[in-house]
Amino acid sequence: MNSLRIARAALRVRPVAMRIPVQRRGYAEAVPDKIKLSLSLPHQSIYKSQSVIQVNIPAVSGEMGVLANHVPSIEQLKPGVVEIIEESGSSKQYFLSGGFAIVQPDSSMSINAVEGFPLEDFSADAVRAQIAEAQKVASGSGSEQDIAEAKIELEVLETLQAVLK
Amino acid sequence: MTFAWKAAGITYNRYLAVASRVVRRSLKEEKRLAAEPRGESEVRFAKWSNGKPGEPKHLAEANAQDTITRAGGA
Repeated sequence: MNSLRIARAALRVRPVAMRIPVQRRGYAEAVPDKIKLSLSLPHQSIYKSQSVIQVNIPAVSGEMGVLANHVPSIEQLKPGVVEIIEESGSSKQYFLSGGFAIVQPDSSMSINAVEGFPLEDFSADAVRAQIAEAQKVASGSGSEQDIAEAKIELEVLETLQAVLK
Repeated sequence: MTFAWKAAGITYNRYLAVASRVVRRSLKEEKRLAAEPRGESEVRFAKWSNGKPGEPKHLAEANAQDTITRAGGA
C-alpha cells in the first residue's frame, strides 16, 4: 500500500519534470520554420539575412521550393523568376539573370546573381523587339559565337515574355 | 550537364554576361538607363616581357578572340 502511494506520487511528479526543458527554449529554436535569405547582386543586396517562409528557385536541375531545414545544396540557376514568400505571407517575384543558390545547413540561404529586378520593371515591348532581333541573328549567317550568344539571349527573352504575360 | 553554348567556346562567365545584358536591355526606359553602364568594361591589359610592356589590349576583345580559339580547339 505504501509503495503504491509512492508510485502514484512519482506519476504525478513526472509530467512537471518533463515540462521543464520545454520552458528553456532558446531563441533559435523558437523560429525553426524560417529561412534566413540573402539575395545579393554585385551592386546591391535585395535581401540581407532576412527571415522568410519559402523561396522558389528556377534551378538548372528543375524548379524547386526551399523551406526551412532543407538539405544543404548548391544549385545553378537558369535565368528566371525567384519567388519569395515573406513572413507576412505576401510573395515577391524577381527576375534573375542566372547565378547560384546555396542552402546552408543552418537554414540560411544565399542567392547570387548578376542582375535581378522585380517583374514590374520590365517592358514587354522591349522584350518583343529584342526577340525579333535575336531570332534574326540566330538564324543568320554570323559567326558561331554570334549565333550561340543570340540563342542565349532568346532563351532569356522567351522566359521573360512568358512571365510578363 | 552540357550546354549548347559550350560548343561555341563560350565560358560560363561570358554566358552570364550575355544573359545579364539582355535582362538590362529589357527594362523600362528609366531603369534601363541606370542599369546599362554596369555591363560596360574598359579594362585593358598588357603582357610584360624582359622588363618592357607589350601592346595594350582590350580585355573584352582578347576574350572574344579566346572564345574563337576554344571553339576551334574543342
